[in-house]
Amino acid sequence: MVLPALLLFVVFGVVPLVGVLVLSFTQWDGLGAIHAAGLSNWKSVLTDSQLPHSILVTFEIMILSWAVQTPMSLLLGTFLAGRQRYRAFLAVLYFIPLLLSSAAIAITYKALLDPNFGLGAGLKIGFLTQDWLGQSNLAIGVVIFIVSWQFIPFHSLIYQGGVRQIPTTLYEAASIDGAGRVRQFFSITVPQLKYTIITSSTLMVVGSLTFFDLIFVLTAGGPGDATRVLALDMYKRGFMSNQMGPASVIAALIVLLGLALALLLRRLGGSTTASQQEGA
Amino acid sequence: MRVRKLLQLNWFGGLAGWAWLAIVLIPLYWIVVTSFKDQSAYFTQNPFALPSAPTANNYQLVIQSDFPRYFLNSVIVTAGTIIPAVAISFMAAYAIIRGAGSRFLAGVNGLFLMGLAIPLQATIIPVYLLIIKMRLYDSLLALILPSIAFSIPLSVLVLANFIRDVPKELFESMRVDGATEWGMMRKLALPLTRPALVTVSIYNGLGVWNGFLLPLILTQSPDKRTLPLALWTFQGQYSVNVPAVLASVVLTTLPIVILYAVSRRQLLSGLTAGFSR
Amino acid sequence: MDPNATSRRTFLGLVGSGALAAGLAACGSSGPTSTPGSTTGGGAPAGSGASYWFLTGQPQQGIREAQVKRFNDANSSTKLKTTEFQNDAFKQKIKTAIGAGQGPTLIWGWGGGGLKAYVEAGQVEDLTGWLGQNATLKNSIFPSAFTAATVNGKIYAVPGETVTPIVLFYDKRAFEKIGAQPPKSWGDILDLVPKFNAKGIAPFSLGGQSRWTNMMWLEFLFDRIGGSEVFQNIYDGKKDGWSDPSAIKALEEMQKLIKANGFIKGFSSITADSNADQALLFTGKAAMMLHGAWTYGNMKSSGGDFVTGGHLGYMNFPPVDGGKGDPTDTVGNPGQYMSISSKASQADKDTAKKFIANNTLDDATVEAWVKSGNIPVVKSAKDKLSSITDKNDSEWLNFVYDTAANAKNFAQSWDQALSPTQAETLLDNIAKLFQLSISPQQFATNMNAVIGK
Repeated sequence: MVLPALLLFVVFGVVPLVGVLVLSFTQWDGLGAIHAAGLSNWKSVLTDSQLPHSILVTFEIMILSWAVQTPMSLLLGTFLAGRQRYRAFLAVLYFIPLLLSSAAIAITYKALLDPNFGLGAGLKIGFLTQDWLGQSNLAIGVVIFIVSWQFIPFHSLIYQGGVRQIPTTLYEAASIDGAGRVRQFFSITVPQLKYTIITSSTLMVVGSLTFFDLIFVLTAGGPGDATRVLALDMYKRGFMSNQMGPASVIAALIVLLGLALALLLRRLGGSTTASQQEGA
Repeated sequence: MRVRKLLQLNWFGGLAGWAWLAIVLIPLYWIVVTSFKDQSAYFTQNPFALPSAPTANNYQLVIQSDFPRYFLNSVIVTAGTIIPAVAISFMAAYAIIRGAGSRFLAGVNGLFLMGLAIPLQATIIPVYLLIIKMRLYDSLLALILPSIAFSIPLSVLVLANFIRDVPKELFESMRVDGATEWGMMRKLALPLTRPALVTVSIYNGLGVWNGFLLPLILTQSPDKRTLPLALWTFQGQYSVNVPAVLASVVLTTLPIVILYAVSRRQLLSGLTAGFSR
Repeated sequence: MDPNATSRRTFLGLVGSGALAAGLAACGSSGPTSTPGSTTGGGAPAGSGASYWFLTGQPQQGIREAQVKRFNDANSSTKLKTTEFQNDAFKQKIKTAIGAGQGPTLIWGWGGGGLKAYVEAGQVEDLTGWLGQNATLKNSIFPSAFTAATVNGKIYAVPGETVTPIVLFYDKRAFEKIGAQPPKSWGDILDLVPKFNAKGIAPFSLGGQSRWTNMMWLEFLFDRIGGSEVFQNIYDGKKDGWSDPSAIKALEEMQKLIKANGFIKGFSSITADSNADQALLFTGKAAMMLHGAWTYGNMKSSGGDFVTGGHLGYMNFPPVDGGKGDPTDTVGNPGQYMSISSKASQADKDTAKKFIANNTLDDATVEAWVKSGNIPVVKSAKDKLSSITDKNDSEWLNFVYDTAANAKNFAQSWDQALSPTQAETLLDNIAKLFQLSISPQQFATNMNAVIGK
């Protein structure tokens, strides 16, 4: 029963994974023959000034998007856990950004933020007519905003589910002790959601390694290389500079990073995704 | 009262809730309104004003540029990925749970767990090479096969969590009645894990439907384009014509929004069931 | 029982054994060795006939479509199948398709370093012999256009389409508004910047996200300050060619203009593919623009009365005071190039050759190019100019022709001349230079690192 899944996963998951390693020791321009290249790609990539920058940008986007999304999702998730009609209605609308493809979202925001023909110019609001995608820090900010716009609803729903499972007796006990709402939120809700937070964070953090489509369409890694995350660096080296070897080195680093982050988050006491609390 | 107790941070949460709604809706409103304007109106009118002379020309332009073809490709790739992916993941999850204690199955499970942390993007170069070698380059199958493989880890994990919750006594009693493992899987595990099947189908389906990198690298012919790729090329062709580009955004998203409107309840409960149990 | 602990162990164990498996695979012979696509017969799936990809954008697109239509009408049994791409998409797609051995039969391109990469990978046909047999075709083309089509003394592409130098365009109305004359030197340009900014007009439009647009500025500054040999040395792979004192000075002057707000706000998020940079010029938001001669046709058709009303001015890039470069020098594309895929079937190759011979530089095409405000790469173009009745078009065409013909040196665009590896590094660093995030020295260091690669 397990064989079909195993076979497909091995052929298209494990073999490419091994392939990344193998290719990282070769020289291939993507057009002609593949030659062995020993350690030269690793040497050149690891000593190249682009790599630290790409790693920095990757982490910057990862950490900042996590820091924006998590508190907001927690708050919204707790709010949505209420049973009123209108909250259910809000949840329905919240969900829409998740249905759009990253390509569609990037295209939309590109038009929306255009300093000469976009929203700011149309409304004649100076604040909105910034060179959003042309200044390094603004561009990173825009990427983080769009990621949040896209994924906060999803994480809010995860938290909503988590909050609804917290036994009400805990809150009742706290009320009797005279704890206010804010106090209850920090001393009951947040600790009780530990596993949910780990789950949601893992999805956010490992997911942030895959922000390729959005950035590719939005800024192509620009301005300069301000938004060139590792995935984009890999693509550019491989498919634009014709250097599949160095690109595979970057790919291998992305895989290692993904594994390391997932392990780290497991150590923090959760499991990689769904909580595996058997009858907790 | 449970409800009242749940309303922590009521007014603050409410404020955040409505503010977020505005943030979500404003761009969406702008997309729809602008897609009905003609180009000159786009440059001259207030961006939030309703079109003074609404026009469907943009939609006509998009539909005439082979939109139905791209739509069909996206449907084929999504269905062609999800149906087999969920089926084989379900079988694998069942085997892993029922075969607890087998070292081989534990190893397979570990392999899938590792797969969770591997972004598809990172393996694109070898996948490209593999697809070339298999002579599948520029076919829809080239998109389907890797998509299935990368849907497996999460699907197995979520489904296994659900199958684990099926009481062991039920299996026992069925086995006493002479049911085979296949029979038990079909008659017992399948109905009980239906919500989880919906969850993983939707989660992976959204990912495949909106996927961009695989079509970008693995296909070339216009008749193999999926919607996100078509959107990108369309944007290149008409990028000065913002309303037309936005009309294409609306059209590529519309099918999903309709699907969402129809099956909302199942979607919302299903989508998060696997993550926040 | 704690399920997490066990699964973490198996998880770690697996990572270990995975690495082991990878090690074994690397030692074995399972690594990829053969040439990708070497086993596939035809370019496109067998039996589908010859294929041709080209770029969108008017008026060029219409002319290309008409060529194919004429060919297909005359050869109904061996029709050419076409696919149209926008510039950026084309550059992405053509490489993966050729790498997969499924490139189009006819490979459209810019010659130079990109063509050389195809040649080295054995992906394109040697056309030297075939051109020898078709002397009429070969002799009708400007000889200078063959330079970028030649690799190691053999010709791998047939020049076609148009000679497009890079030109400094300006809006005469903008100059009237500030009461100034068009610049005659680099110094004038720097003096004009604050005057335009004070009037709320951007001095220069620029589609900076496309990066090659920024590059055109450097091509001229390098030439005007240090002469054509500065880039020639880089092209020839001379060590530290980018650190030439003239090169550093050119980079400094470039950043001086950027710091003085010489370019439109938000230039690094504007793309040239969308023609938004041209729109900024003809809508009066910017006063000047350095761009390829190919943009004339679009500005005429999309720009209202901008061209027809005689508001468009143009000139060759002005000299820099004290510079060594010849003021007649120009840069740009000496032509566009068509190669034939070596992976195509013989029948498809023959179809493609027939198309090149009969329909790419035929009279109808040459007429159409001239009518659209472009100079085709054929010697007969000069004779066609006299037949143009439109005053604006006639002036423009004569200007382009003279610029190309009288140039002491017509340098090919850098990103096309250099290898793809160098070109991509160059475009990246140019973007950073324009962002002011690296200094001229850093730029030179980064570029010297890839010289000759």
